[in-house]
Amino acid sequence: MGGAQRNARKRKQELAAQRAVLAARKAKSDRNKIIITVAVVVVIAAAVVTGILITNNQKNKTEGMQIPVNKASEQVQVKRDGATVLVGKDSAKVTLDVYEDFLCPACGQFEGAYATQIDKKVEEGSVRVRYHMLTLLNDRSDPPGYSLDSANAALLAADEGKFPAFHASLFKAQPEEGARGYDKDQLIKLGQDIGIDSPAFADGVRTGKYNQIVEDAYQQVAKDPKLQQDFGKGQRGFGTPTLAVDGRIVQTDDPEWLNKLTSQQTG
Amino acid sequence: MLDGIGTVARLGLAAVWFVSGAIKAADLNQAYIAVQAYDLLPQGVVSVVAAAVPFIEIALGLLLLLGLGTRLVAVLSAVVMLGFVIAISQAWARGLTIDCGCFGGGGQVTASETAYPQEIARDIGFLVLMGWLIVRPRTWLSMDGWLTRRPAEAAVVGED
Repeated sequence: MGGAQRNARKRKQELAAQRAVLAARKAKSDRNKIIITVAVVVVIAAAVVTGILITNNQKNKTEGMQIPVNKASEQVQVKRDGATVLVGKDSAKVTLDVYEDFLCPACGQFEGAYATQIDKKVEEGSVRVRYHMLTLLNDRSDPPGYSLDSANAALLAADEGKFPAFHASLFKAQPEEGARGYDKDQLIKLGQDIGIDSPAFADGVRTGKYNQIVEDAYQQVAKDPKLQQDFGKGQRGFGTPTLAVDGRIVQTDDPEWLNKLTSQQTG
Repeated sequence: MLDGIGTVARLGLAAVWFVSGAIKAADLNQAYIAVQAYDLLPQGVVSVVAAAVPFIEIALGLLLLLGLGTRLVAVLSAVVMLGFVIAISQAWARGLTIDCGCFGGGGQVTASETAYPQEIARDIGFLVLMGWLIVRPRTWLSMDGWLTRRPAEAAVVGED
């Protein structure tokens, strides 16, 4: 009997001790849960801040930058014709239409690969180029609008006879797609650096003098059935760069395409 | 046994977040183009979302790998994933032709290259795993388990 009572008391004490331990552990566990929650929130917040810092650092490389001048021949004839620019002699047998967007990476590669050859042909007088500056990727700069601003500025540079250097410089120092382009002040500065001193140029860049005709021209070109290309998988569409002569697309897969073009026309 | 399933779900999702976040973080310009293509957010917000999402994904992956705050992280993961599903669905419904950019890439694609049903199905699969962890966040090898021993375990010790 006494043993049973003792046992019962002992059991009670044990239970009380257990409860105390449990309560203590629960308090500790609750505290840890709060710590965990705070840790999770801190980690996520740190991730957001890191992302924004890294992105701003990467994407705004062009901010405050002076666009380096890439010299081009000043001897060639330059004439603006609506939203296009004709470079070269009127007597040239071949007029090559070049459709490009100042933001388009493939256009930058094309210019890098063939600009020298094309310029040579233009200086020789065998080829005349009609540049179409389009706004295919206008919303792909951050902030959007670089394609349009640069196309407008290039037309204004053409009015001043300085298109070749302006065009070559923008492609040489091409901003990345998805990143910041160049703003209007930077475009104006480039114009000044290549020798445009007329206030009409700066005003035109600021007010977007040719924006409307550039956009209209893009709408027209993009719908032109003669300029649609196959992109594989049965898809057709308009892309940049596109080259054409007399309304027929010229393929540049063959590195000799330019020589063949001039020899065909003269021979 | 059920802890085992949860562990697999947790580590699997950690891997998914890590990979998708790392690919996006490696090409932030592309991330901007991808977010922009959804045509859903105002311009300034697109930049912020494109900057934040890759790193949020990496952070969620890290937290799941550690098993820290598993239930909360699973809830946050599900919120993010639900956002993706809504964004993809609206693009599909509006007839946009974009790649979801879920694992890098993204932006406009041709109509035949869209894969909306597969993308949504995959994300719903991930949501199921997240749901499991929300309902039952206990897993093996987790910091949660290590930091918050359950009182029930202590009670067992008290028995003689």
